[in-house]
Amino acid sequence: MSNIRYAYMCHWKTVPYKTINNFREFYYEDKSNTAYYSDWDRLLRYQKALGFDGIELAPWDLADLLPLFGSAKNFKEFALDRGVEVVGMFHGAHACHDATKEDEVIAAGKEAVDIIVQLGGTQMNTCPTDNYYGIGPLSREEVQQCAKAIDQIGRYATDNGVKVGLHNEFFCGINRENHREFIDSTNPDFVHYCIDTAQISILGEDLLEFYDTYHSRISGFHLKDTADLAVDDSIRYSQDPEIRDDGHRWFWEPGEGVLDFEGLYRLLKKHNYQGWINLETDGSPDYLASMALSKYYIDSKLKPIYD
Amino acid sequence: MKDFSINLDMVNRHYQEPNRNRYESKYFWEELYSLIAAAGFNGIQLPYEPIWQFGGRSGVPMNTYCLQTKYQSATKYKQFLRDAGIDQVSAIHFDANLFARNDQIGFLFGATGHFASQAVDLASELECPVLALSPSPYYGRLLHYYPDLEGRRSEFLEKTDEVILNLADQANIKGVTLALRAEYWGLYNPRTLASRVSSYNRSNIGLCLNTAHVHLAGESPNAYADANAKYIKHVELSDTQLASTQEFSKSANPAFPNTAATQVFRDVGTGQLNLKEIINNLAQKKYEGCFSLSNHQTRDHNRALLRSRRFVNQLRVQEK
Repeated sequence: MSNIRYAYMCHWKTVPYKTINNFREFYYEDKSNTAYYSDWDRLLRYQKALGFDGIELAPWDLADLLPLFGSAKNFKEFALDRGVEVVGMFHGAHACHDATKEDEVIAAGKEAVDIIVQLGGTQMNTCPTDNYYGIGPLSREEVQQCAKAIDQIGRYATDNGVKVGLHNEFFCGINRENHREFIDSTNPDFVHYCIDTAQISILGEDLLEFYDTYHSRISGFHLKDTADLAVDDSIRYSQDPEIRDDGHRWFWEPGEGVLDFEGLYRLLKKHNYQGWINLETDGSPDYLASMALSKYYIDSKLKPIYD
Repeated sequence: MKDFSINLDMVNRHYQEPNRNRYESKYFWEELYSLIAAAGFNGIQLPYEPIWQFGGRSGVPMNTYCLQTKYQSATKYKQFLRDAGIDQVSAIHFDANLFARNDQIGFLFGATGHFASQAVDLASELECPVLALSPSPYYGRLLHYYPDLEGRRSEFLEKTDEVILNLADQANIKGVTLALRAEYWGLYNPRTLASRVSSYNRSNIGLCLNTAHVHLAGESPNAYADANAKYIKHVELSDTQLASTQEFSKSANPAFPNTAATQVFRDVGTGQLNLKEIINNLAQKKYEGCFSLSNHQTRDHNRALLRSRRFVNQLRVQEK
């Protein structure tokens, strides 16, 4: 039995069909690859074939996914029929630094937990508050307010069998200067941490040191590489820096950037990590190719270190 | 000489396909404008999509926030377009499907009114004459979130009227015309929509004739134009190979038939509609607005652009 199971953080954009039964006929309409990327049935089969047994959804998937399947439970069963379980859902705790919006933030968090339970998931990887641009720098009180709101969501999540994993991005209001203060201000009984390997490295954290320090709080990973370490404040604090005007990519497949994943896996072994690692392919022009490329790297370089 | 523009809805912003990530970056659109001009078109139609504001995807030039983020103002964006060979934004289109995402009717109509109002302002700032407006979200999508939709139909229609009339007041001040788009997938069919427009009795509320939509709703686009000529303020030339949408028009996502996968909208000139006849008919009815070439759901926007040019070239040859 492996210690690590691999999932895919869903970045498929809107998928219009559940299953395409007239696949050949649909292909011949235009003889393009559209037929290959238009139904959940095939997308789930691709990832299962590549060894990704779980899927983490995103809240922006739901507006189309729920009407398509009728309910969260129906999607859960559809995915399970193809050997894929829903591991959880990403969540944005928007405005959680703002005390006047505390009730709203907590209600939204609880609503997301409820959906995750219906999906059969156990993770809610949660991005604290909004982008730095527009709200930063946060005051000490605002950082504490973030922690207070997330703690309450975390308590509710825990009661419902879901782990809240903080998921910081390099352009958030919680940023390099208060990242650890924020983590340390949350209650470790209810609030955990999902390391996005690329995001925290771009933010300015040392990936290996960070994991080694916080290993007891780590509930999951978003696995991806980057070639940009500790980028300047002028980028992290800028307006909408995630998608660059010139097409510069922040994120790459593991092994295509500069992060020390072999070192990370040695630490995973040291701390006996057990759980999901979710591959994330945002920024890629071809998710299927990225998934395959990443899995080859995992199988050939990382699994021999720790499986 | 008829005026043709290219509807930017030919770029697949929302559905999965390889290389889709390019569409979120500014560089993609800035090259596209010059390619549209190179294909011989100097006008564009812009979908107004608030979603790009929420995820920090402001490279997609489809709402006020994005244009202000990347170009500081609509005026500077318009200047950028001019420099790329695009002289006119012929229409902006708005639909409310994004806000049909829960059972809160106040949210649906509040957000619709708020963001459609932004679209009116943007149209004015871009000197764009028309806001084409989908009168309702998809019927099937509404039904998912409001299972008692039929029992509440009059409530939905009253709130729709309220939003439209408020927008019309604003648009009137701004010099913009509202063109309600007859569609096969909403709360209104083309006839009930035309009747609604007539009842408004406002000079700046008319109809947007999307040729494939009207055909797929079971009406002849020519007959529809004949019956409603005085109300037609904007035309989207779209094509299809399908004859009917009865089996899927009320499904949750009616742009993708759940009975069997198929491409509902085909590139202009590659479906079964006689678009030339429709153009000539509208010309006889003294329609003087722009013809927006709509290649919604194309599998290749660059090929669609050239197919659009081929279509227009063939029209011009036949005119001679």
